[in-house]
Amino acid sequence: MVEEQPGAWFGFGFCGFGQEPGLGRRCQVLSPEPLKTRRDICHVSASWSYTALVTRGGCVELSGSVSGTAGGCRDVWASERLLVLLRDGPGSRVELQAWAPGSVLHGEPLWAQDPEAKGAALSAEAPVGTLPLLPSSHVYVSPWPPFRHCLAPELRARQLELGAEHALLLDAAGQVFSWGGGRHGQLGHGTLEMELEPRLLEALQGLPMAQVAAGGWHSVCVSETRDLYVWGWNESGQLALPARSLAEDKRTVTGEGLNQEGSEVETVAGTEDGAPAPFIAVQPFPALLDLPLGSEAVGASCGSRHTAVVTRTGELYTWGWGKYGQLGHQDSASLDRPCRVEYFVHKQLQVKTVTCGPWNTYVYAVENRKS
Amino acid sequence: MAEGTDGPGDALWEALVALLPPSKEDLKLDLGEKVDRGVALLLQQAVELFHGGQQGECLQASEAALDYAWEKLNTGPWQDVDKAWRQVYAFSCLLKTLCLCRPPREATAVAAALRVCDMGLLMGAAILGDILIRVVAVLQAHLVSGKRPNCSPSQQLSSQELSSMKKAKRDHVLAPDVSLERAVPRLRCPSLQHFQKYFLAPGMPVILEGVADHWPCMKKWSLDYIQEMAGCRTVPVEVGSRYTDEDWSQTLMTVNEFISKYITNEARDIGYLAQHQLFDQIPELKRDIGIPDYCCLGSGEEEEITINAWFGPPGTVSPLHQDPQQNFLAQVIGRKYIRLYSPQDSEALYPHETHLLHNTSQVDVENPNLEKFPKFAEAPFLSCILAPGEILFIPVKYWHYVRALDLSFSVSFWWS
Repeated sequence: MVEEQPGAWFGFGFCGFGQEPGLGRRCQVLSPEPLKTRRDICHVSASWSYTALVTRGGCVELSGSVSGTAGGCRDVWASERLLVLLRDGPGSRVELQAWAPGSVLHGEPLWAQDPEAKGAALSAEAPVGTLPLLPSSHVYVSPWPPFRHCLAPELRARQLELGAEHALLLDAAGQVFSWGGGRHGQLGHGTLEMELEPRLLEALQGLPMAQVAAGGWHSVCVSETRDLYVWGWNESGQLALPARSLAEDKRTVTGEGLNQEGSEVETVAGTEDGAPAPFIAVQPFPALLDLPLGSEAVGASCGSRHTAVVTRTGELYTWGWGKYGQLGHQDSASLDRPCRVEYFVHKQLQVKTVTCGPWNTYVYAVENRKS
Repeated sequence: MAEGTDGPGDALWEALVALLPPSKEDLKLDLGEKVDRGVALLLQQAVELFHGGQQGECLQASEAALDYAWEKLNTGPWQDVDKAWRQVYAFSCLLKTLCLCRPPREATAVAAALRVCDMGLLMGAAILGDILIRVVAVLQAHLVSGKRPNCSPSQQLSSQELSSMKKAKRDHVLAPDVSLERAVPRLRCPSLQHFQKYFLAPGMPVILEGVADHWPCMKKWSLDYIQEMAGCRTVPVEVGSRYTDEDWSQTLMTVNEFISKYITNEARDIGYLAQHQLFDQIPELKRDIGIPDYCCLGSGEEEEITINAWFGPPGTVSPLHQDPQQNFLAQVIGRKYIRLYSPQDSEALYPHETHLLHNTSQVDVENPNLEKFPKFAEAPFLSCILAPGEILFIPVKYWHYVRALDLSFSVSFWWS
């Protein structure tokens, strides 16, 4: 949730469906641009082809391949197959609604239920912005059947995020659990095996975490001491580790395409003595990631194949897949090291929040107050 | 069919357009429920843009659909990926190919389009009557009729000349003395009944002679021929000594690049064009091979037989492993040293415990760590050096280890 402060939302990356309000239908938006939204947006949930924006007054705005508005919403979670709303129902009850995105919030939802498994009333102070985790913290929703999943009661979940094949959970004590598919190391248990049930990340035990973020096949978490940990797939440099594909792209870009003798330059960007830096395709357990200039991480979000982090001093760093401009560095290059998004520095904006869609990035920033 | 900005009689473009469905409404996919509404919309838009001659925007839309489908193809185990997503991928490749080839086009456009088509064939599923195969044929013909693909002198050597050239280097690729080992039995053209009774039913390995030695590939295939038929086609290549190594990886390159990088020139790594259904991708090569008659003894259909190509320099190794189907391994070029261990002795072979590698032994067959794997020393095995024209029958689940002694091309048939 965003504090009461004058600020604005910015967006960059894939906008082929016009899902970033006011930016038109453009395949790539390479640099942050202010979003043109009419009302005070406090929360954003971005799917691939559309985005849901929630105002402080509880109004949901849909932009992109679907459009429309709905009132009385406390929380929203957007995915291609399902739009999930936590909505004020009749008689001060709160209802969990799942809509087919194409229904544009007209007619009936696909299904609607009590958010609580046992029908307990939702208090007014229930945390908002936790979807896909329900406020009760015992249940979460996902786009695939059975749609509603129960969590073991001992897991006092504070936050939950879903990747393409895995799930990350942060509990009240700051411990991280993961489960689901693990073929790209995204579970962080040091193997490529899948886990059917939430399993504690032992490598992080004793390090209380403040936030988790799940990308398509990678995972990130921010500790209470403002350190950053990454694990999972690094095929586009989304873990800020050396990525083979980025090095190969550099080689072919400088050459003429097919090298006549086929003798490609084998040494790649690496150490000074010419030894190639080892590429890392998969990082199966958490690795500490240092941001440039000793910056401290206070927030993180992941797209399919990119990562964005907000620092304590209000800067935004991004890395990973950049083809659609989702890194915000005015080009479509992918990066395997953290780079600051200079736009916010130039405009003297303090970044407060970042939320990534699969191929784009949404940022809430406020103006720097000069002291 | 397509209105728009065709150049004066561009032969390639006309040939491509001729492959498309006659009415523009038919350029579509029936995708059903499995495919998300957003990407279905995007594909519709892409087709509209194509018919409207808006090449740049069509290319962007196709590219986005392709990238989205790629993510779906990488979600979950490959065998569980819904065919619809592979069709979306193939369709996006088709549109992208058309956009690239539409005149006026860049000099490198056709080679780029060929690569895109190959990706559609490798990762996608057949669409519009397997249109990508026909598109690829048109592109390949156009490329060949233009320039000859790179013909640096080294690539024109016959494999014999190459072998002697590499003899000095080959000294480290020594052939084991198989006379000291128990030999795989050999039979010349056994009858179906004999094979079924003494080998298939009891699961006993055997080398079949006289069965494949008249296949056209035995006489026709050489580095030159392979480059002519498939040189500019993109194929998956495994890089690294063996798939159990940490620095093992898979990559894509054209057959020309593979031959140049890993066969004719001094290669730092081992590259292996392994376990690839090359003959689905390049049907012209399929005409040069047969299918062993003995496959009819199985319960499956002929279309269900998986045919893989295995093409690489001397020294490629497949670590000791087992497969879930019967296997006929036909040797075409060069020789392979092969060891076979019975599934009854699995315990002595120390299979990996992970799900991913449970069909692979932890033991390095020709350099076993007997302290770590003591039972391996006593495990009985059969061995052979498989030569061109011979077929090795590897019964289902029979453990096998393979090392190429020469530049080698094998064709395997997995059947049930």
